[in-house]
Amino acid sequence: MVSAAPIHIEALAAERPEPGTREVVFDIGDLTVSYDGNPAIKGATFEVYRNFVTAIIGPSGCGKSTFIRCLNRMNDLIQGAGVEGRILYHGQDLYGRDVDPVEVRRRIGMVFQKPNPFPKSIHDNVAFGPRVLGMTSDLDARVEVALKQAALWEEVKDRLKKSALSLSGGQQQRLCIARCLAVEPDVILMDEPASALDPIATTRIEDLMHELKKDYTIVIVTHNMQQAARVADMTAFFNIEKGEEGERAGILVEYDITSKIFTQPSDKRTEDYVTGRFG
Amino acid sequence: MRTTFTEELDTLQASLSEEVELVLRALRGSINSLRESDPDLADEVIAFDDEVDALYLSIEQGIESLLARQTPVAVDLRFVLAVLHSNLHLERMADLCVTIAKLTKLAHGLPPDEMLVEGFDEMASRAEEMIRVALDSFVNRDVAGAESLVDLDELIDRTNRRVVEHVLELGGDPERREWGLRMIVISRCLERVGDHAVDIGEQTAYLVTGEFREFTDASHPERVDT
Amino acid sequence: MKGRSRDVRGAIFRLALLVSLAVAFVTLGALLVDVAGKGFEFLDPFFFTHPPSTDPHQAGARPAILATLYIGVLLLLFTVPVGVGTAIYLEEYADKNRWYNRLLEVNIQNLAAVPSIVYGILGLAFIVRGLGLGRVVLAGALILTLLVLPTVIIAAREAIRAVPDSIRQAAFALGATRWQVIARQVLPAAIPGIATGSILALSRGIGETAPLIMIGALTYVAFDPSLLGPFTVLPVQIYNWTSQPQEDFVKLAATGIIVLLGMLLTLNAFAIWLRNRYERRW
Repeated sequence: MVSAAPIHIEALAAERPEPGTREVVFDIGDLTVSYDGNPAIKGATFEVYRNFVTAIIGPSGCGKSTFIRCLNRMNDLIQGAGVEGRILYHGQDLYGRDVDPVEVRRRIGMVFQKPNPFPKSIHDNVAFGPRVLGMTSDLDARVEVALKQAALWEEVKDRLKKSALSLSGGQQQRLCIARCLAVEPDVILMDEPASALDPIATTRIEDLMHELKKDYTIVIVTHNMQQAARVADMTAFFNIEKGEEGERAGILVEYDITSKIFTQPSDKRTEDYVTGRFG
Repeated sequence: MRTTFTEELDTLQASLSEEVELVLRALRGSINSLRESDPDLADEVIAFDDEVDALYLSIEQGIESLLARQTPVAVDLRFVLAVLHSNLHLERMADLCVTIAKLTKLAHGLPPDEMLVEGFDEMASRAEEMIRVALDSFVNRDVAGAESLVDLDELIDRTNRRVVEHVLELGGDPERREWGLRMIVISRCLERVGDHAVDIGEQTAYLVTGEFREFTDASHPERVDT
Repeated sequence: MKGRSRDVRGAIFRLALLVSLAVAFVTLGALLVDVAGKGFEFLDPFFFTHPPSTDPHQAGARPAILATLYIGVLLLLFTVPVGVGTAIYLEEYADKNRWYNRLLEVNIQNLAAVPSIVYGILGLAFIVRGLGLGRVVLAGALILTLLVLPTVIIAAREAIRAVPDSIRQAAFALGATRWQVIARQVLPAAIPGIATGSILALSRGIGETAPLIMIGALTYVAFDPSLLGPFTVLPVQIYNWTSQPQEDFVKLAATGIIVLLGMLLTLNAFAIWLRNRYERRW
């Protein structure tokens, strides 16, 4: 009998792409963030890869939102917030002396937990970003492209002038995503984007993430482990630990491909968390 | 909705179909090696089992990852569990083909009984048919088709019993007797292949109805569910 | 039984409330009816177009009305930019931990409660005499600006604070500068609240009498006012007329009151309409 050629079955659980070919978007080294001197995160070190969905999971207060807000320098807006350590974005120091936070936020967009459309029309919501950044050529085309990418165009194309607040919660969140995409970012940060939405709207957002990651790099914070399991390629588990002086800060416990975190985590703390045996 | 998840389920089923193709080739190869008494072909069959094992492992790992990441429920969960079990049955079938090949090598040089060998050909064809029916029923979620495997299995069982009688009649020649013993085991292997096919049919019924029941119960042969 | 006695107490309480309400409304109603009755006679276009005179039948309130209008416009022009600007500074830029900002906060609350006569004295000393402007419309407007500014600041701050922080966060996250966030998101959303507050402050300013008397809003002005000239305002004109003995002047005063009340009610109604129409429910 003739021996068969090797079977090419799309690997169901393989790492994608191979470790050697991953492109680093964020290189985070020994990151420590404090508010008025109290550390919220200590010594976090890992890399975020291009066109991956990277999920940050962990118990409340472990610094997930604090971490993600460092990536687009939104922590600058909080008085008393101090950031130490290294965050390199495509090799450049994100907190360098001559780095403009406005430019950072154009490249690294953010979607928030509770949908927060502006009290303006749908069109003006999406157009706001390009307008403030001076990207005013072909504004209508930009709005259309962004709404299509956010899988919202078909539902709103006939009522762009209507108020954004007339949309449902799930639609508003997709509008916020479209708003973010309109400025042509490189990275999209999502802080618990679906926690205020019903299950169907949540599934739509998750499907959207699968589509968007082909063109963008996505970092998502979620307290819903199953969501992280469904959408993320890489998962980082943060936990709260007591320091020497008794202060509680978030630390990175484990960072690996998602299927490994949920089938065979290396650290017992990770296993306790994902199996729900915490505390 | 959940297109990635749906694609993963489809890929899982496709993998199972691929595995069936491999098993069929192994079966055909092993019977051909028996008919032609060809030890080289038998070696190929034995080596080929590595591919089946690799696919088996890949499916196992895929299921593990899918369960962890997608938390399937209801019909999706039953589907994944049915694939898990069927995967094992197919791997067992492939192992049985290896056993047939090994026995063929051991029987090489011993005087064959042509009638018996032809009988095996027919048995193998029946087994092949059962495997195809099992897969088609699974893919089409056809419970009736799955249940029809019981009748097909009955034919193989009868043939298996006739083989034993036939071997007993072979006579006193020691080489003949040795050959006959080997053949009994081969016959048993083919009969086991048929049983595994029925087991796959039971998985199909479980997948569709949510109830697991045995089509026939070996310890209560008179009770046959319809 | 117990239930019934509670009912009785409740009924008595309600009755007491109704009585107080009635007292207030009846008194007010009586005053209004009285004024309307007295002032009706002289209420015609003549009242608006003619200056006052010693003959009540030749008298009008034109200079007073004009000056009131001028001061109203100047009030808006001065208080809105300064008030809104201060509110923006305090809400959006100020570091609340700095002592001078906290001082500012406390003082604004205090200033809103200062009696208006004090502003009159202040204005006399620093604006009329200190700046050397004299007893002119501009001075009056500046003094009233100081008077109503705290109210405008407080109203503007409330309106700005009412804009949820999530809107600002979203705008920042898109790459807007702080000024763009304020100008394009916060202010537009706060405008209804700011407008309402400004109009209410305006109507208070127009009705003020004491500070203007303090700086010498002359009680008899028969010529049209100009920015840097002597003047009188409607409340003062009314005051003047009431101090005249003749019956007809009392009637004229009542007419003036009707006009003044008309202006104030219109402004307030407009403010309320504005708030109801454009107020955003977050």
